[in-house]
Amino acid sequence: MIRNYLKIALRNLQKNKRYAFINLIGLAVGIMGCLLIGLYIWHEWSYDRFHEKADRIVRVTWEFNFGDVLNETALTGTRVGPEFNRRFPETEAFVRLLKYPRVLAVADKMFEEKNFLYADSAFFTVFSFPLLEGNPATVLDAPHKLVITQSMAKKYFGSQNPIGESITVGGDKEFVVSGIAADASDNSQIKFDFVGSFTSLNASKEEKWSEANYLTYLLLRDEEAIETLQAKITAYMQEVGKDEMQLTGNSYTTYQLEPLTKVHLYSQLDGFEPNTNVVYLYVLTAVALLILLIACVNYTNLSTAQSAGRSAEIGMRKVMGAGRREIFLQFISEAFLLVLMAVGVAVGFTILVLPWFNQLAGKEFQPDLLLSPFIFLMLLGLSVVVAFIAGTYPAVVLSGGKVSKILKSGFSFTGSTSLRKGLIVFQFVVSIFMIIATVVILQQLSFIKNKDLGYSREQVVVLPVDAQIREQYDLLKNALRQAPGVAEVGGAYEEPTHIGWGDGLSTTEGNKRITINALPADEHIVETLDLEIVAGSNFTRSDIQLADPARGGDNITYTYMLNEAAASALGWTPEEAIGKKVAKGREGIVRAVVKDFHFRSLHEPIGPLVIFMDKRLVGAMFVKLSGRDIASSLAQLEKIWEQRVNHRPFEYQFLDENYQAMYKAEQRIAGVFTAFSVVAILLACLGLFALTAFAMVRRSKEIGIRKILGASVQDILALVSKDFVQLVLIAILIAIPLSFLAVSQWLEGFTYRIEIEWWVFLAASVLSLLIAFLTICLQAIKTAYHNPVKNLRSE
Amino acid sequence: MIQLQNIFKWYNTANRPTFILKDVSLTIDEGAFLSIMGPSGSGKTTLLNIMGMLDQPSEGSYHFMGQDVFNLKEKQRKELYKQYIGFVFQAYHLLDELTVYENIETPLLYQGVKSAERKAMVGDMLDRFRIVGKKDLFPSQLSGGQQQLVGVVRALISKPKLILADEPTGNLNSTQGEEIMQLFQQLNKEEGVTIVQVTHSEKNAAFGNRIIQLLDGQVQD
Ligand SMILES: Nc1ncnc2c1ncn2[C@@H]1O[C@H](COP(=O)(O)OP(=O)(O)OP(=O)(O)O)[C@@H](O)[C@H]1O
Ligand SMILES: [Mg+2]
Repeated sequence: MIRNYLKIALRNLQKNKRYAFINLIGLAVGIMGCLLIGLYIWHEWSYDRFHEKADRIVRVTWEFNFGDVLNETALTGTRVGPEFNRRFPETEAFVRLLKYPRVLAVADKMFEEKNFLYADSAFFTVFSFPLLEGNPATVLDAPHKLVITQSMAKKYFGSQNPIGESITVGGDKEFVVSGIAADASDNSQIKFDFVGSFTSLNASKEEKWSEANYLTYLLLRDEEAIETLQAKITAYMQEVGKDEMQLTGNSYTTYQLEPLTKVHLYSQLDGFEPNTNVVYLYVLTAVALLILLIACVNYTNLSTAQSAGRSAEIGMRKVMGAGRREIFLQFISEAFLLVLMAVGVAVGFTILVLPWFNQLAGKEFQPDLLLSPFIFLMLLGLSVVVAFIAGTYPAVVLSGGKVSKILKSGFSFTGSTSLRKGLIVFQFVVSIFMIIATVVILQQLSFIKNKDLGYSREQVVVLPVDAQIREQYDLLKNALRQAPGVAEVGGAYEEPTHIGWGDGLSTTEGNKRITINALPADEHIVETLDLEIVAGSNFTRSDIQLADPARGGDNITYTYMLNEAAASALGWTPEEAIGKKVAKGREGIVRAVVKDFHFRSLHEPIGPLVIFMDKRLVGAMFVKLSGRDIASSLAQLEKIWEQRVNHRPFEYQFLDENYQAMYKAEQRIAGVFTAFSVVAILLACLGLFALTAFAMVRRSKEIGIRKILGASVQDILALVSKDFVQLVLIAILIAIPLSFLAVSQWLEGFTYRIEIEWWVFLAASVLSLLIAFLTICLQAIKTAYHNPVKNLRSE
Repeated sequence: MIQLQNIFKWYNTANRPTFILKDVSLTIDEGAFLSIMGPSGSGKTTLLNIMGMLDQPSEGSYHFMGQDVFNLKEKQRKELYKQYIGFVFQAYHLLDELTVYENIETPLLYQGVKSAERKAMVGDMLDRFRIVGKKDLFPSQLSGGQQQLVGVVRALISKPKLILADEPTGNLNSTQGEEIMQLFQQLNKEEGVTIVQVTHSEKNAAFGNRIIQLLDGQVQD
């Protein structure tokens, strides 16, 4: 019986090729959208779950308040891991991680490596990163042991066996390769090319609560223990705060535990890479479902519309004894067959657009992923669901109805007309919503991109500064300044795009203390970054002398600059602040107040910041270029670098690019959103196109008569588009408030954001009307020009 | 009024032309009442449609009121058509979703007649043909004869000089048919409307003042 159904279904599709084609393409595009978004979501969701002990691993984050501001960070001191492991029986092991770009050399090969981790010896037993060579328990159990990935083994050693070979790290330390790991998978928050033993670090010799530079993971004995452990930690840290740190009043310090599998999607605190906000996944899921629904709606609409022509067939079948059930099954099998074909086409489409989607979404999906049995089963399930969603309504309508009536006058569409109209409205609500959301997202991103941050970030080259470079810092800096095309050179601990150094600042008079971000810098930071001084002056010659590293650590005196937020947090106007004594470890005077600039992401307000001169802490050099010929300036910089620095290659970044990188997540979402709103609109138009076609067929007689009565082509177009345009207008009325609410909600997440402008709604409305109208015209114009006599003949 | 010269019409079926009209030449004077007869498939409808500018011949020329129809621009032809020609069909071809009133009004809409004027014109017609009482009914609520009457009224509303009727009585019983024929005769005599009708009935053909026979696409005199 089923075979019979399928055979007839196939013939029917062949008979109505055009209709089948439109349906097929529509469904295929919808399913493709679902597949792509599905892959994306699955990838995000699978993050870190591949570790066998994932359920028992927790990340420890630091929460503290040393003044009046709550601070939370994923970074912790060296003490947290070992101390908790010793003290609390709930823990089985700990792993501390430090990510630190290093220059590696083997024989004549030398590269700067960004994905260099230091990790405790339990790293390969707590996490399930597979080792191809080496014993997971011992590969990192002594200083200067190093595990490298397969591709790095190839990069440095070619076909030679790297085990036991040594690699020079950071110019002076010899590490011995003790293991080879598989390349880290891309759905891991911990990605590495090299893992050195944590004990190789000087910092590992002393356990400290402060100097938080490390990610700490604990392996619990039992995943249920997390709450007990959390309570114990809170209690213990209260003691520590009181006894060891002498915290008083509201000040406190504690640690929070986050299950490893929740970090990537739910944590606000970024580790080595930005987390994803799970809300975006929900939004994308919704988008995928909506696109699929639109495709199903097209099917439903088309088959009911098209069924008019099949009344005779169904009538005859009923006369021959087919029951309602048989007719129903017949139509469902037709839907199922078409959906199956659509799935095939969708997989083809997906493979075609995959490289492009990867780029858009920042993923690396391989086409063979689509051919895995898991996906196959999922698609089969999806087909059944889609076939039922799309096929049930037409099947019910067509299988119902009295034979005599069907044979005489076909199906009555009064009921289904309003349903069809409702479905068109639905499609356009989604499309208009997507247009508006996309425009607002793109606007906000462009706002971010072009936002005046309060410092200059264009044409600023960032060069790394390490201990060896620091020894000849001024020499190198001066050499760079002399280079043609260089306007200014300055240095600081980190880039102004994201200042992470958290600290406390107290006043001498009044003994006030605030939590603050701090940026150690050299004497040229103000002019290099074009910071605006609102009161006071730039660092003076005597400030520079007081902070000269040559005086020796204990004799250095700091000079401070505050931003406006810091001055006001201390209760001063910018003018009042000048000359006041403040202390961050050591006392010094406030030389200037600089205008607030954005040193964190635009999701956050500008907080207090202190800049102090300490060249010993400089970690990055900023070279501001003035010339037009960036390439030749860079070549000059490289030449100077190579003359003076021989322990690491010349590698640079642009400040602006680093800034843009902070909004990767948003940019990807925007890309994905744009792409899928185009898909949604195309699908909605496809549906409209097909429905207009059927409307034209149904109304061909009427149109013929009207033309004979003198109607022009324009009259006819107005006539047929009127109904549809009305529906789009209704859709606009529904979509505008919905999208307004949604985008306002999204913008709330940015402290600095655009105002939603009314023209966005107007433009989206006009655009959707125009698209709908053009779609209809494309279809209707043929009929409108058609010789009316022919329309009437076919009656 | 109508001068058809050497009209040919053919369709390419299976790459060979099938001739529908073969060298038809015909002159119809203003005020004539012409009946075209002939067996089914002889090309009557085709000829009528060409006269009504709904269709184009494959070859030949057509002068209507002194104008060379097929050398006119589409727009001018349309104007000519709107101004002078009214059509009546065997299947009435009323618009099902419009009332009698609205059906009659439709041609005026397309001619851009102002609302007040339209009202007056339609009202006049309803009066004159005594169908005021039916004006709010839909076609499906009328008998065939009444529907055809509405069809004729609709053709007359724009005061055409020529009425082209393709088997206007084909779907009507003889009494209804006769009423329509009498109406045509009256229009022809009293108002000088030129009428060309296609009919299968000798009796109805006799209402006109001239009859031509069409056979295999050729006029038989
Ligand atoms: N588009 C077309 N393609 C091919 N042949 C056509 C086409 N239109 C009409 N014909 C043929 O032209 C011939 C004449 O058709 P027409 O409708 O003029 O005949 P008729 O005399 O009005 O017949 P009836 O009395 O049945 O209405 C017919 O044989 C018809 O099959
Ligand atoms: Mg005919």
